[in-house]
Amino acid sequence: MSVTDQRAPGVRISDLSVVYRTQAGELPAVRGVDLELMPGTITGVVGESGSGKSTLALSMLNAVQPPGRISSGSVEIDGLGDVVALRGDDLRKTRGRHVGYVFQAAQNSLNPLKTIGKQLLDLGRSHDVDDLPGLVKEARSLLDRMGLDGARVLDSYQHELSGGMRQRVGIMLALVLNAHVVVLDEPTTALDMITQATILRIIREVHEERGLTTLVITHDLGVVAEIADRLAVMYGGRLVEQGPTREVLGAPRHPYTRGLLQAIPRLVGDIDEARALPGRPPTLSTVPPDGCVFRERCAVRMDVCETGEPPVLTIGPRVVACHAAGDGESQKETVTTGPTRGEEQA
Amino acid sequence: MITGKGITKTFRQRGGMLGAREVPALRGVDFSMEKGGAVSFIGESGCGKTTLGRILAGLESYDSGEITIDGVPMSSLSHRQRQSHFRRIQLIHQDPYSALNPARTIHQTLDAPLTLRAKQTGRSRSWMDERAEELLGLVGLDPGYVLPRYPHQLSGGMRQRVVIARALTVDPEMLVADEATSMIDVSLRLGILALLKDLRDRLGVSVLFITHDVATARYIGLDGELYVIYRGQVVERGPVESVISDPVHPYTQSLLSAIPVLHGLEVPGAERVTPTEAIDPNRKDTGCLFAPRCPFRTDRCEAETPVLGHDGSTVQEHACFHPRSRSVVATPAVRS
Amino acid sequence: MTATTIVPEARSASATLRRNFWRGVWRVMKRKPSRMLGVVIMAGFAFMGIFGPMLYPDRLPRDTNALYAAPSWAHPFGTDFEGTDVLALVVTGSRYVLLTGLVTAVITVVLGAGIGLFAGFRRGRWDSVLMRITDMKLTIPGLPLLLVLSTIWKFTSAIEMGLVLGLLGWGGVARAVRSQTLSLRERGFVEAARGLGLSTTHIIGRELLPSMAPYIAMNMLIAVTGAVYAQVGLFFLGVLPFEANNWGVMLNLAVFGGGALTTTAALPYLLAPLLAILLLTLGIVLVVDAMDEIFNPRLREE
Repeated sequence: MSVTDQRAPGVRISDLSVVYRTQAGELPAVRGVDLELMPGTITGVVGESGSGKSTLALSMLNAVQPPGRISSGSVEIDGLGDVVALRGDDLRKTRGRHVGYVFQAAQNSLNPLKTIGKQLLDLGRSHDVDDLPGLVKEARSLLDRMGLDGARVLDSYQHELSGGMRQRVGIMLALVLNAHVVVLDEPTTALDMITQATILRIIREVHEERGLTTLVITHDLGVVAEIADRLAVMYGGRLVEQGPTREVLGAPRHPYTRGLLQAIPRLVGDIDEARALPGRPPTLSTVPPDGCVFRERCAVRMDVCETGEPPVLTIGPRVVACHAAGDGESQKETVTTGPTRGEEQA
Repeated sequence: MITGKGITKTFRQRGGMLGAREVPALRGVDFSMEKGGAVSFIGESGCGKTTLGRILAGLESYDSGEITIDGVPMSSLSHRQRQSHFRRIQLIHQDPYSALNPARTIHQTLDAPLTLRAKQTGRSRSWMDERAEELLGLVGLDPGYVLPRYPHQLSGGMRQRVVIARALTVDPEMLVADEATSMIDVSLRLGILALLKDLRDRLGVSVLFITHDVATARYIGLDGELYVIYRGQVVERGPVESVISDPVHPYTQSLLSAIPVLHGLEVPGAERVTPTEAIDPNRKDTGCLFAPRCPFRTDRCEAETPVLGHDGSTVQEHACFHPRSRSVVATPAVRS
Repeated sequence: MTATTIVPEARSASATLRRNFWRGVWRVMKRKPSRMLGVVIMAGFAFMGIFGPMLYPDRLPRDTNALYAAPSWAHPFGTDFEGTDVLALVVTGSRYVLLTGLVTAVITVVLGAGIGLFAGFRRGRWDSVLMRITDMKLTIPGLPLLLVLSTIWKFTSAIEMGLVLGLLGWGGVARAVRSQTLSLRERGFVEAARGLGLSTTHIIGRELLPSMAPYIAMNMLIAVTGAVYAQVGLFFLGVLPFEANNWGVMLNLAVFGGGALTTTAALPYLLAPLLAILLLTLGIVLVVDAMDEIFNPRLREE
């Protein structure tokens, strides 16, 4: 395996906003997101539909399609600079060479009329790779590493591969040009439980062996919980909470994170403790322009949430944007109104 | 009461030059469902759980076996009579986006089956309107808001509720929920599950829950039964809690091991089972079907076929020659 | 957004729905000026076909002093070989042409959609039989058959002409509708309707047909242009007798009688019916563009 000595790059997303042009004017899909991907870590972004998580992922490649556009902010990648400022051929080369992107369950991102090997060669040619045999060799060893018969997979068409195999092909295509920043968009949707577990294990292992900086986008808290070092929760285009995965899951500070955790039925413990979150997630057109985006569904809503932008509090390695998460006193209060399961069982 | 005995179904794929290929979807499945009960089928895609649901909803035929609905064996009936019995079993589709006609309003969608129902029972037009509102209220929707709208104006969760209301128009005995929450936003899923649970309590509707997510099966009915299906065969069956807390079949253990652990809240089970992955598609189906992937297989597994049954050591039935308890499920973390 | 504006009482549902539908159609049409232009053109032709011939006497006046006259205020498109006003010929000839087009379109769509829907929904034996018939029909070459038919049949009425063209044209629509039906019947809402025990009539008429409405409407409009080309072509070739006043007859006389391709005198006589056909086609193409949005509630409302 040709792991380079190159250190995994860090990525800093600062004040990133993406707007979509609609008949009602430009509406923000992502608003003022600050997120740092530490070199060599896996960061998981969790959100429901309309949370802006996929738009955020596309911004990493500066690939937001019209009618959307990045309206402000930057995505700085070590050794590359600001991706948002890149244009034309530079940008195209960046995708694949520096930032690998694995599309949603790789279902539709493969060409059904070409073998995987042909698509690999297309990729190599479009990035001016001189050593095509070397590329194939690298692809084969990556696939072998992921538990597949590399030679056979390269000779196969998409329909001859199972969902889990396609996903691994997607990961191979994202990594084969030696990208060190990898974005995985919903890597396990539509996969079976056992296949999902396998793919997650592979992502983790490959991440460590190749020294990557990885971003995983998902709606499934379980996926993030299983593999991510850091967890960021998005809601209505905002990053509402982030921090080390274990800490966030063990003691969530934002009422949305807490509600989401509580809404997931579990295998052990009192099943009746699971509580549905009232209301429904906002869409692009129903996100409130002022105040807290979550207030409609919030159990600890206050008057200030209507108008005031929630303050972004940094507490050690954790960041939370909530009026109620401020000082220690109110923190205690929110805990009693909506206790996490972990705390109750302690 | 709805029971099935030895249901088999084989799909014949029209192959290319090599002729038809036979794919067994169900290999003799037995089940029984009390009125108002809850039964969950779990397994991977392609294990036959969806086919069984479609058979029960009358959308698919079966090759052999017997289904009995309220004591009436279906084999004794003509096709037409059978269809009216199967109508008492309604399927809730996985995809609420395709389950509603995009060109028809919710009012129109509910109107069609209610008209049929009104004709059968000799009721009036005003009954239909009242019933539509009553059903929407029952599934937690505001009729005034929902009725004049088209499906695209509703969220996924609301659509799934409309689908459930539509199924209730024919006063079904049983709802078959096939992955009914998998395409719905995480924060809204529990609401749908709670609704199904609520319908059990309030209307006495039984729920056949088809899923790959064991935890949701647990939420639907702790008093219910869990069937674990592997390649068209039930490999473990019993009360939900005992199958989850004390699984003995290695396949059940693999499924439970694969559930992501919420690190920070939970600690993973000590003996998580990972099945060997690839199976040779050309292999003859002899012996235990799971044997090729089973980390604990012996020669006997390759030669003999295990039968689902009790062995006295566990509450549930299983089909394994070497049943053994393993702690695979995550346990709550003890917080310091 | 406009989608959430009107929340009518759930009662009187069908009337409200119809009103909302036409309001939606209006909204869709307003979105592009070209669509409005198309509607105006089509309305103009409809008016011409219905009322146009009433404006002229049964026997059009001939001005024997002005054969092949150049365009003037009295004769905007000049006159023909016997001094008849060309505009009057175009207007009086339009009824036959348009009526044929309409009859053809209706027959094509009713037969094509009906057979396609039924075959696709029933599958199995019905499907095989109907599709074999369709295939056989598709192999019949249209023009030679028409040539043969014209020797025994004079097509004096537009309805007869439309009937023949319609019977020759439904095959493609049937095939396409069938394949759409096959894929739609696997959709959740059709399965749900089956599971609820709703009648086949309901499923085909209320569930499947509306989903295919844009496609069918487009085919209907396109069939009109097809029928116009076909019959004008037949008359132009001189295959059919010149009994009727017809655009195709005009073209034939302009080219073969007036030598419009070599001399300029008969040029207006040639161009006038061509312009009419061109305008009609343009109007239809512009309206077809709106069909998708009209029949898709999502696109209609937003």
